[in-house]
Amino acid sequence: MRVTPSFAALFVICLTSTTPCVLADDLTYEQHIRPIFRQHCFDCHGAEEEKEGQLDLRLVRFMTQGGESGAAFVAGQPDESLLIQRVRVGEMPPGEAKVTAEELATLEKWIADGAKTARPEPESIGPGLGVTPEERAFWSFLPIKRPDIPAFDDEARVRTPIDALLLQEMQPHNLAFSADATQQTLMLRAYFDLTGLPPTPAEAERFLSDSSPEAYEQLIDELLLSPHYGERWGRHWLDIAGYADSEGGTDADAERPWAWRYRDYVVHSFNADKPFDQFIIEQLAGDELAGPQNGDLTDEQIELLTATGFLRTAADGTGSGANNPEGQNQVIADTIKIISTSLLGLSVGCAQCHDHRYDPIPQTDYFAIRATLEPALDWQSWKTPPQRQVSLYTAADHALAAEIEAEAQKVVAERTEKQTQFMAEALAKELGKYEEPLRTELRTAYETPAAERTDEQKALLKEYPSVNISPGVLYQYNQAAADELKKFDAQIAEIQAKKPPHEYLRALVEPANHAPVTKLFHRGDYRSPKFDVEPASLTVTAPENERPIFSADDTELPSTGRRLAFAKWLTNGRHPLVARTIVNRVWLHHFGRGLVGTPSDFGKLGTPPSHPELLDWLADEFMASGWRLSHLHKLIMTSTVYRQSSVKTPPLAELDPENRYYTRKPLIRLEAEALRDRMLATTGRLDRTLFGKPLPIKEDDAGQVIVDENQLRRSLYIQQSRSRPVALMQAFDAPVMQINCEQRQSSTVATQSLMLMNGSFVLAQAGHLAELAESDPDTTLDEQVLASLPDIPLPTSPWQFGYGSYDPDASEAVTFQLIPHWTGSSWQGGAEMPHPEIGWVIANAGGGHPGGGAERAVIRRWISPYSGQLKIAGSLHHPSENGDGVRGRVVSSRAGLAGEWIAQHSTVETPINALDVEVGDTVDFITDCREHETSDSFGWSVTLTLSQDDGSDREWSSESGFHGPSPPEPPPLAQQASRAWKLAYCRPPRQEEMVLAGEFLRDQLNTIDAQQTSLPEGVTPARQAMANLCQALLTSNEFLYID
Amino acid sequence: MGIGSVALATLLHQDQLLAVPKNIPKNPPTFDLVEKPSQFPAQAKAMISLFQHGGPAHMDLTDPKPELTKFHDTDYKEDVQFSFVNRATKKLLGSPWKFSRHGECGTELSELLPHTAEIVDDICLIRSMHTGANGHEVSIRYFHSGIPGVLGRPTLGSWLVYGLGNESQNLPAYMVLTDPGGHPVDSVNNWTNGFMPPLFQGTVLRPKEPRILNLDAPPHLRGELQRQNLDLLDTLNRRHLEQHPGEADLEARIASYELAANMQSAAREALDISQETKATQDLYGLDDDAAREYGTRCLIARRLVERGVRFVQLFHSGQPWDNHSSIATSLPSVCQKTDKPSAALVKDLKQRGLLDSTVVHWGGEIGRLPVTENHGDPKKRGRDHNGQGFSMWVAGGGFRGGMTYGETDEFGHRAVVDKVTPNDYQSTLLHLFGLDPNELFYVHNGQVKEITAGRESRIVSEILHRPPVA
Repeated sequence: MRVTPSFAALFVICLTSTTPCVLADDLTYEQHIRPIFRQHCFDCHGAEEEKEGQLDLRLVRFMTQGGESGAAFVAGQPDESLLIQRVRVGEMPPGEAKVTAEELATLEKWIADGAKTARPEPESIGPGLGVTPEERAFWSFLPIKRPDIPAFDDEARVRTPIDALLLQEMQPHNLAFSADATQQTLMLRAYFDLTGLPPTPAEAERFLSDSSPEAYEQLIDELLLSPHYGERWGRHWLDIAGYADSEGGTDADAERPWAWRYRDYVVHSFNADKPFDQFIIEQLAGDELAGPQNGDLTDEQIELLTATGFLRTAADGTGSGANNPEGQNQVIADTIKIISTSLLGLSVGCAQCHDHRYDPIPQTDYFAIRATLEPALDWQSWKTPPQRQVSLYTAADHALAAEIEAEAQKVVAERTEKQTQFMAEALAKELGKYEEPLRTELRTAYETPAAERTDEQKALLKEYPSVNISPGVLYQYNQAAADELKKFDAQIAEIQAKKPPHEYLRALVEPANHAPVTKLFHRGDYRSPKFDVEPASLTVTAPENERPIFSADDTELPSTGRRLAFAKWLTNGRHPLVARTIVNRVWLHHFGRGLVGTPSDFGKLGTPPSHPELLDWLADEFMASGWRLSHLHKLIMTSTVYRQSSVKTPPLAELDPENRYYTRKPLIRLEAEALRDRMLATTGRLDRTLFGKPLPIKEDDAGQVIVDENQLRRSLYIQQSRSRPVALMQAFDAPVMQINCEQRQSSTVATQSLMLMNGSFVLAQAGHLAELAESDPDTTLDEQVLASLPDIPLPTSPWQFGYGSYDPDASEAVTFQLIPHWTGSSWQGGAEMPHPEIGWVIANAGGGHPGGGAERAVIRRWISPYSGQLKIAGSLHHPSENGDGVRGRVVSSRAGLAGEWIAQHSTVETPINALDVEVGDTVDFITDCREHETSDSFGWSVTLTLSQDDGSDREWSSESGFHGPSPPEPPPLAQQASRAWKLAYCRPPRQEEMVLAGEFLRDQLNTIDAQQTSLPEGVTPARQAMANLCQALLTSNEFLYID
Repeated sequence: MGIGSVALATLLHQDQLLAVPKNIPKNPPTFDLVEKPSQFPAQAKAMISLFQHGGPAHMDLTDPKPELTKFHDTDYKEDVQFSFVNRATKKLLGSPWKFSRHGECGTELSELLPHTAEIVDDICLIRSMHTGANGHEVSIRYFHSGIPGVLGRPTLGSWLVYGLGNESQNLPAYMVLTDPGGHPVDSVNNWTNGFMPPLFQGTVLRPKEPRILNLDAPPHLRGELQRQNLDLLDTLNRRHLEQHPGEADLEARIASYELAANMQSAAREALDISQETKATQDLYGLDDDAAREYGTRCLIARRLVERGVRFVQLFHSGQPWDNHSSIATSLPSVCQKTDKPSAALVKDLKQRGLLDSTVVHWGGEIGRLPVTENHGDPKKRGRDHNGQGFSMWVAGGGFRGGMTYGETDEFGHRAVVDKVTPNDYQSTLLHLFGLDPNELFYVHNGQVKEITAGRESRIVSEILHRPPVA
């Protein structure tokens, strides 16, 4: 926000600059005045043939000559100068944007000092603004120059020329690199940086147990060979290439069904370590390299054509409602923007309408780039996206398809014959309802082709509508016939489905012999074409008078060859912008920021490089290595600057607080994709399959766009919709493509936190991690550690289901044995009933059935988990009209018989008002058959309310507490927690962390128990507590950031 | 010296400011919702926009046209641009509803708006709105994002929140209250952040649970279990921070979890309209079947603004004001839904002393034609789209009350006096919020973007209590 415009800027400069805040003494037109004019004045007074008021500001000489109102200035007398007067009163420039106070002061002083030029002005100049030596001297347009590497003695810390160049800048300030990070940190850094995934436990163990000095370098070599490297770095490229799986351009946002092949091409190219110059050439001109495309495409041709998907990433609504000049020209403009921001580090878009206001990019240069594209992207003979698809059908496919179609046609013929027969039958039957001569009249009318019917015939058919039998209504006359025809249809469809599937490429293929003329559009408006423009490079990127003009039509090629020439020029090793732009992007992804802070703007509006010599050295080294990214990665990652610790020690916080000198490794938050991928990898569920069609997305119940929970592949493969971005991805700053993404934000907002706290994806992953930890507990956990942890009592069910007897006089008043067999809904002696030993003993949720005799009573036992006073409510129910009923007893291990009731064809209440219990006491609910065991099914539901000494009440119900066999005891939670830690953080927990985890699990279990939390089906309290622990791990900063 | 020393200067002195022309703007280095000072003293602090999708028929509601009544059923002489040519006629359609004067100001309103009639002294009724385009989406986007028909630009709420942040740190800054029937026409584009970061997107407050996506944990984890979980997370994060002292990103992440937890209780409290008295609930029409749903949302909107939310916008499902057919019955029904709650909002804000600092906006993207859209049966007749002239009203936050502004022609077809475009409206709003419409900008792809996209616009001073100093 521009709060108080120029004053704020001036203030900042005065505060932070060591140079005093005054204007330079030697103001010259070229260096100081022209940039002001370029920004404010040249649109009307210089750039175009017509000059407003006849005033041309491009040369001082012209200004002196002046325009309609006279000379623009009087040397030495700013107050008398028209230029100054007009600017002071705000008359010039017209419109909102005004010359700042400081710029005005510069103009005044320059005139006061005599309006000097840097050198004699040229005798004549061409049209437009041209490019001056001053403009050419801007850092990014100067040739790349490999700097000398300063020598340092410290071999341990100065591992590469990168380190030397950085240290050179540090030393005057008594700064140095931080110490190397731990092996553990380096491992995670390297894995995430190169693959975007954590190491598997086995990989981590292997690396950490390798103490050889080469281990780290070897790791980098291995990771560069990992197929996941291409996925990771391919994604970086797809950002700037503007990759999307939908067309955009209109509301419809039509699906872009074959874009994914370009995505796969990019991944494959990175994995193959394809020289980057080749990668650029293929993307810009793959179709021109592919040679004649007659007959089947070869694999090589397919790859080259797929590469041109780069030129087809721009939003394109021309196939979905915007096939008009605006829509078509927008596709071209966006494509140019993608090319320039990705490869040139410039946004040339401003020059679409007028000469660039800040950078020396004339409008003619913009249209020169457009001219390189025009033969393939010609708005005057436009092709919509479907029309541009390249079929992958081979001659064999065509032949096979034709063969299959012929087979299908045989069935079609059979069907036609049948249909004709059915129709004739139906007609005959219908006509049979009418007498002659009407019958024949109707038949004649019906059989006469519609166009030839007489008016009488038409009227007749209208009068007797039921005669108008058509195949569509045949079913109304003869359902069986219609069904038979349907069988034919199914058979035809089945045969046709055997044809090879038709697949396509999304590519840009220039038609042969098509070399349209490109016109410069006045103000960028296609309705105002001016003069012809030839295909050429940007003027400023070539040495003066050496600007290459590309041949309008290369006779060696069926296409014009314009893009091929352009691509070769970009990669000829002398282009000042391309290599700098690429290495800056590589640096950006390794360090979280570029050497140039504006990776797609190396012009005046961008920020200059913090380390220009390092940028040039990297660019030169990159090209010298054969444009190999692998070389660049290894060079950077083996440097001390990359290997140092990220910790901001107190001295660094003081001396290099912003880390401008790279005195520590910057900490980086995982990008959206890496975050999701890491979670899936941590729970062991990541599907590492490479390539293929995008993963479908859908709206969840709340309308949020999600990836189907069963889709476990890397986030790279999620369908990239421009209008339906996946909520989790968007929240963590994954781009939602409009044109392309020059640099991602790394935002920290509450919506992210809410998603991590409550989002269904994260909760599910936490559950999966808990599951994994339980199935593979960390049994290596030290005994001492275990011993030091707080007790974590696992809540167990207080209910047991058995049979036995009650005899108050026996030494053991109640005998109790567990009922052995679980049917899925009740306990009984065995699968076959009655059981030879315990007969009809059954216990179920509502009650059960006692066996015969006093020793085979059903006993539901409740073991008190707490001390207090128990109150029991319930009713004993004997529903049968036969038999002698059942007897129910409540017997406590502490107090003996507490109540006894008999129910016979009746229901009796079984209240017990006060029964003192201690922890571990049993309370048995014993039901026997009295004398006879026939017709003794019973119901006995009880509710136990325990009042504890602290005044709190807890409740148990015999019905909801009824259960089958208890799950096997889970492994100790401490061992599970330790495993979760290792999986989430790729390191074992520290002692104090285990204590923290133990306390947390204990508190969670207590809370679940105390609140009687109703957990999802199949989730035990221990599992829920572990899942919650896992969630904390998966959403913690140690998981989200790489240091 | 050489190039190395140049680099040094860069490092030491933020040299881009030296190397670059001085007035080249930059975005702030990071984006947040922290409250920011306005550029000059603001009159408005918050805004509630009651957006009326479809095009309310101004000649039947807010803009009486005796000539139209007089020449009812005769042929209109002027050219008309129709959207539905197949049903187009030039037969003038006089309003079947009576207009009368209300309030001290005497503003004339139709009998369809009896409750709005009670607030005429507090609102400014603009009768000369103009988009120049008859299409819905074209005009909707013009109103929200500044250029007719263009997608991908931030909406009004995004700009206000970007420029001013939010007073409340416990509630989203830009909230969208959607209709239980579904999204409005043009769907989520109505509250898009366009080229700004997602932080500036409208947060949808859904009409059913979950009201705000991801706000609450599943039921079994709510309360104490989640609190313990957040405590554990906080402990883990603070121990991690001890090993990475002074990392602002890590500190911000810790704070954002706290904020998220606060949001849970704050949002729940803000949405709890049972805290309102019966009298207040009835004022909004909660005792009335037709008005209850919209009234509930208007009441929630007030509660949100009261709690420091910057921008709240209400939408209908689809476009209920698009009365192409059977206008005689379809128009009264949508009035019954909206009239009472809309008026209640102004009354309630006023009685709470919030109206002075809160802009209330009521209006659609277009109006309707004075001629008949023919469906055969006279009962089914309606009106086609009209972006050439229509009404909307604004109240509070520095807008003058008790006035009308601008005029359409004698038939209500075209705005002819004091035309107001969506860009004028946007500039005027920003001014009330203490923002200069030309100085509030966002740099996207190296280009300076303003809400009006540099299109011609003016601050409509005549309708402001304190017009800008010339």
